[in-house]
Amino acid sequence: MIGWFDANLVSILNGFAIGSLLFILAVGLSIVFGMMDVLNLAHGAFFLVGSYLSVTFLAGASWGGFLTALGVAALVGLLAGGVLSGMTEPLARRPILDQALLTLGISLIVAEVLSIVYGNDVRSVRPPPGLRGSTDVAGDAYPTYRLLLIGIGLALALVVWLVVERTSVGALVRASVADREMVSAMGIDNRKVKVAVLGLGSMLATVAGVLAAPVYGARPGLDETILLLALVVIVIGGLGSIRGALIGALVIGQVESLGRALLPDLASFILFGTLALVLVVRPRGLFAGKVAHS
Amino acid sequence: MPKHRAHPLLGHRLLRGAGAGVLVTALAACGGGSLGGDDGGGGGGGGEEGGTVRVGLVIPQAGVYTPLGEDMQQGWELFLEQNGGELGGYTVETVTADEGEGPDTGVPAVQRLLTEGNVDAMVGIVNSATALGVAEQVTEAQVPLIVANAGAEAVTQDAASDYVWRSSFTNKQVAAAMGEHLAAEGIGPVYVMAPDYAAGQEVVDGFTEAYTAGGGTVAGQALTPFGTTQDFQPFLSAIQPSGAAATFVFYAGGEAVSFVQQYDAFGLKGSVPLYGSGFLTEGSVLDAQGPSAVGVRTTLHYSTEIDNEANAEFVQAYQDAYGELPTTYALQAYDAANVLDRALEEAGGTSGEAIVEGLDAVEEVEDSPRGPWTFTNQTPEQPIYLREVVDEGGTLVNAVVEDLGVYAQP
Repeated sequence: MIGWFDANLVSILNGFAIGSLLFILAVGLSIVFGMMDVLNLAHGAFFLVGSYLSVTFLAGASWGGFLTALGVAALVGLLAGGVLSGMTEPLARRPILDQALLTLGISLIVAEVLSIVYGNDVRSVRPPPGLRGSTDVAGDAYPTYRLLLIGIGLALALVVWLVVERTSVGALVRASVADREMVSAMGIDNRKVKVAVLGLGSMLATVAGVLAAPVYGARPGLDETILLLALVVIVIGGLGSIRGALIGALVIGQVESLGRALLPDLASFILFGTLALVLVVRPRGLFAGKVAHS
Repeated sequence: MPKHRAHPLLGHRLLRGAGAGVLVTALAACGGGSLGGDDGGGGGGGGEEGGTVRVGLVIPQAGVYTPLGEDMQQGWELFLEQNGGELGGYTVETVTADEGEGPDTGVPAVQRLLTEGNVDAMVGIVNSATALGVAEQVTEAQVPLIVANAGAEAVTQDAASDYVWRSSFTNKQVAAAMGEHLAAEGIGPVYVMAPDYAAGQEVVDGFTEAYTAGGGTVAGQALTPFGTTQDFQPFLSAIQPSGAAATFVFYAGGEAVSFVQQYDAFGLKGSVPLYGSGFLTEGSVLDAQGPSAVGVRTTLHYSTEIDNEANAEFVQAYQDAYGELPTTYALQAYDAANVLDRALEEAGGTSGEAIVEGLDAVEEVEDSPRGPWTFTNQTPEQPIYLREVVDEGGTLVNAVVEDLGVYAQP
């Protein structure tokens, strides 16, 4: 057992790093869909915007560049979420598919604009100074930046959970989900709540893009790959549940890392195999949000 | 070659689907006849009276292969420019078609060139599946096609046709050269990795056959999911325990960037030297790989650093025209124009049959920047070079370590 653990330590550790990244990415998508009933298919495109912003601000060259990219990405994400909220408002009473089509269209436009601005070449971003090398983990080299990702992911999970579960803003959000009419009867404009949630969710996407750039780089098509992974995570974890997004992300992180290392021949199927298994056993995900959708 | 998969509804595949197959530009050396329009001056397959030849340039203009398509277009145009817009005495009208990413877009694009484009010959095709998918059509239409990239063995073997020629390489040819070289070096057990699709499999087979025939042993092998692998860690972790003394891989595009960087980040670069098929470090991916790529050794039929007169002139002219170094993709299109030039000179007209006879008569292409090569079974028998990535004053280039000699399709 010890021997097995030792042999697979790097894979397990990497599973946590990838899981953290997936959590940051998926939690925004999950709260927006779970709480506001907006299926934001532009989430992957927003992620890619973040990745390209770190190319623009040379995030790999200095900490200044990295932090600037993070700040600008957060701002861009907030704005994009606000705009998206305005655009989906007229569709609020229409079926969810209409909103999905709108956000799909937005994602196509954003991806094409990025391809026009940045070209079609693959771009890579180095981790900021001090995090570029490898750290020795029980005799194996492991990239230092990925260790940091684990910390950031867990810290962010805590922050998001505290905001939603323990603050009055969070209470307002949860109330809007539970009974929108009642909240608005109490004199609160629930459109503002929607703007805030979409802004926060989109901000998490662009920030995840910056954080992921040293791992995944930036290239056309990455948005689709990433969106698909995020959707798998929230389907496994359960919609609208922060705990679900965290568990889903960690499960997928391990599946993609440890699972592939143990079963290399099944590497192509293992991700969707896990998805299928979860759907058979728990059709609403491992931790579906407590509130049913209207 | 990279190709990402996604749910067909989730992504710009929709856009690509709409744009593909539609012939976008008509780049004519002298005034462009639009596709499908009746241009009285040109086409018609007979060059006698007008003295023009219409060539379809089938290259990716959308999707992940777009950078390759741009390079190929530039290589093609450079040759025309250097030859006054003429090939074999005929004024060239180029009709460009978008190949897209795969046969779903590439085959219809070729189909439209055949039915409406009124072309006498075709050049291009990045994707092997597309090349195989159109072989029958071009043969039936008797329009010669010079494949300027797709490296599948079958293009000039199992699916060979009199009308399908190739100016690029074959997957096994490039890999076999490295296999023989490493076996001769006696480097020890080699770990072999490639994406899990047809080309990856061919490279692995080509390398393994040549390496074991030379007395080498394979320490292990991993075929990674094609297009969906962002993170190679699970596979990289298997290399060291296998006891490998070196790693041989084939990746291209985005996967090549991720692989080379992660190979370095997980500390393997220092302990298990990395070797590869040349596409691992070719073109724009090399800049993106950065310092991680320095020291990686690959085999390919071209490098900007090949020391001969033709290459020096080619690199200079290409840089003057486009402000960047040429890639092997640009060279392949450049050479496709070169052999078409020779074939048309030889041919008694622009009919498919005449051009094929002309291609058949092409002997040694002695002025190619890659070094002299000949057609053997309608695909190049050519020198393969051992290259090493070096940093030359801030620019990464594939320096030529050794000329490994002339290789035919295995």
